[in-house]
Amino acid sequence: MTVDAEVAKELQRLRARVPHLTGVLAATVDGFVLAHDSATPETESVAALTAAALGVGMRLTEATAQGEFRELLVRGEQGYVAIYAAGPSAVVTVLAEPRANVGRLQLEVRRCSARIAELVESTLGRTAERR
Amino acid sequence: MAINIETALKEAMTSIEGAIGAALVDYTSGMALGTVGGGKDLDLTVAAAGNTDVVRAKVRTMEMLGLQEEIEDILITLGTQYHLIRLLTGRNGKGMFLYLALDRSRANLAMARHQLKTIEGGLEV
Repeated sequence: MTVDAEVAKELQRLRARVPHLTGVLAATVDGFVLAHDSATPETESVAALTAAALGVGMRLTEATAQGEFRELLVRGEQGYVAIYAAGPSAVVTVLAEPRANVGRLQLEVRRCSARIAELVESTLGRTAERR
Repeated sequence: MAINIETALKEAMTSIEGAIGAALVDYTSGMALGTVGGGKDLDLTVAAAGNTDVVRAKVRTMEMLGLQEEIEDILITLGTQYHLIRLLTGRNGKGMFLYLALDRSRANLAMARHQLKTIEGGLEV
């Protein structure tokens, strides 16, 4: 199975586990979609915006000496957008309804992004060896 | 007398016999506003998120049953523990609950429930 398919499976599992999610997306830190599971059609632009937000988030944590970037939670009137680092080269973005259980969302997405980090890193490792 | 979150939780831990962990949880978000006790055997962040689903499920069930009632508290009895959930009633406490985990062998359930009610009454969020 390709890494994209495995990442997609992780995302599907996440959506099944956490109620009130409206979309999940895994992307590279430079904004390319790895996999997604969402009803919204703007996946590409969300991935690109995620990369931009991640850049700001990383600079913020660095400027305020908070260490490595971990996550970013944005709350809008109609719901949440949350961005989680998945290792050094990937990121997971989650969209949720306002009634979502954020505590639960955080626990589940942290686990999910750790597994996606492993998947992505092991693939990168294999590609590097082949070179 | 009004007491703040930290003091209320500390009081629950020290004055209630058998207490092993306590948290004040916002069940609109599932996040804890404060925690005391717990540890590796009882992760209070996980408990806050999980018990949010418990409270929400009960609220929804009552709606479906057409019960025009409020939940006062919820008791969950385990083999070695009691878990007590008490919803806040004050005007600032809407959407929140106190969560208390007790060691079943040391706790007096009636006393614990009474003490938690008193603490909740004095709590100012």
